[in-house]
Amino acid sequence: MARGKVKNTFLDPLGKNNPVFAQVLGICSTLAVTNSFKNTVVMTMGVLFTTTLSNFTISLVRKLIPSRVRMMAETLIIAAYVIIVDVVLRAYLPDIWQQLGPYVGLIITNCIIMGRAEAFALTNPPGLSLVDGLASGIGYTYVLLVIALFRELLGSGSIWGFQILGDWWTNWSIMIMPPGAFFMLAIFIWIIKGVVLKEEEVKK
Amino acid sequence: MNGSLIFKERIYPVLFMLVLTLIFIGIVSAIYLSTREVVLLNESLFLKKALLYAADFPVPEGSTEAEEAFQTHFREVGDGRSGEGYFEILQGQGSQVVGYAFLTSGAGLWGEIEAVLAFEKDLKTLRGIEFTKQNETPGLGARITEQWFKEQFRRKKGPFVFVPEGEAAGSNEVDAITGATRTSEAVKAIVNRAVNEAGEFVGGGN
Repeated sequence: MARGKVKNTFLDPLGKNNPVFAQVLGICSTLAVTNSFKNTVVMTMGVLFTTTLSNFTISLVRKLIPSRVRMMAETLIIAAYVIIVDVVLRAYLPDIWQQLGPYVGLIITNCIIMGRAEAFALTNPPGLSLVDGLASGIGYTYVLLVIALFRELLGSGSIWGFQILGDWWTNWSIMIMPPGAFFMLAIFIWIIKGVVLKEEEVKK
Repeated sequence: MNGSLIFKERIYPVLFMLVLTLIFIGIVSAIYLSTREVVLLNESLFLKKALLYAADFPVPEGSTEAEEAFQTHFREVGDGRSGEGYFEILQGQGSQVVGYAFLTSGAGLWGEIEAVLAFEKDLKTLRGIEFTKQNETPGLGARITEQWFKEQFRRKKGPFVFVPEGEAAGSNEVDAITGATRTSEAVKAIVNRAVNEAGEFVGGGN
């Protein structure tokens, strides 16, 4: 029973309850940072770190939080972890920190994190909340990485800054501009919902 | 309302937030303070690399090499790092002064644009330019940070005339950026103002 619950908690956000393509949360950063693979990796690691630890921490103190100030408390805990990410990036990865600009700070407003805190961490034990936060983070991460992979490849002909496509390739500049993100995300959701999720529904 | 209810409803939430805030401020401050040195070092290294690039010297990747190159090629006059003073560019045997570099800034389309400008000794010919801060539109105005845009200023004599992208030919002409008229104009204003004021800025030194 307990093991099944952990398994479900972990697998749900990766598949049918994915925060990005099923719940359509965290779209701002999905659109903004995915024009280069390297930045996306750093950004998603930041979100992964924050969802996991904030979920864990909030669950740890959930019985102490007075319900009328619970959102304040949650935001404070989330913000603290985001600032830690920001400070550490600024010190050790200054180039990427500069390119990500305000988006690191904006992790605080990522609805996935607040959503998991409200919906899960407040009513579940710390261990399970940690798993839920981790899984939500991974669910967010892999969707963004797929989108970033295609955007950088088509938009700049490279991956992680290394040129992949030769001189014959004409860069699709629109892919690294904001509209490219909308196209890629829409195509991604279309394929997932049309092919993968539909098969699951038919099986039921 | 009796005593225990007042405590539970009024006092406890305030106390809870206070304690929680103090704990997290403590954690965040500790991490901030422990990385402060590294951050300051990064910022100064970033400026040094920008100066090296602007003055048309090779920019080493490593921090020690960059520091060395900076020491060989620049001498700070006044407070050059804050834009109050300037830097003398040194080169060759006996470290002769071959030019001057200083920090300047101006309004861009969305926010302030900060740049490092390096001049030849005549204070009219640019050795180069490097942008140290900008918030222009990605893909349009932000293209001012691309190599082709910055490289075209090298060894050209100001004041500059901006022409449509791809048409620059004259010794004072540079390509503007298509689709980023306002940013191009902002850069033009910043660079030309610097060209005009360079003389008095560097204290009439020619």
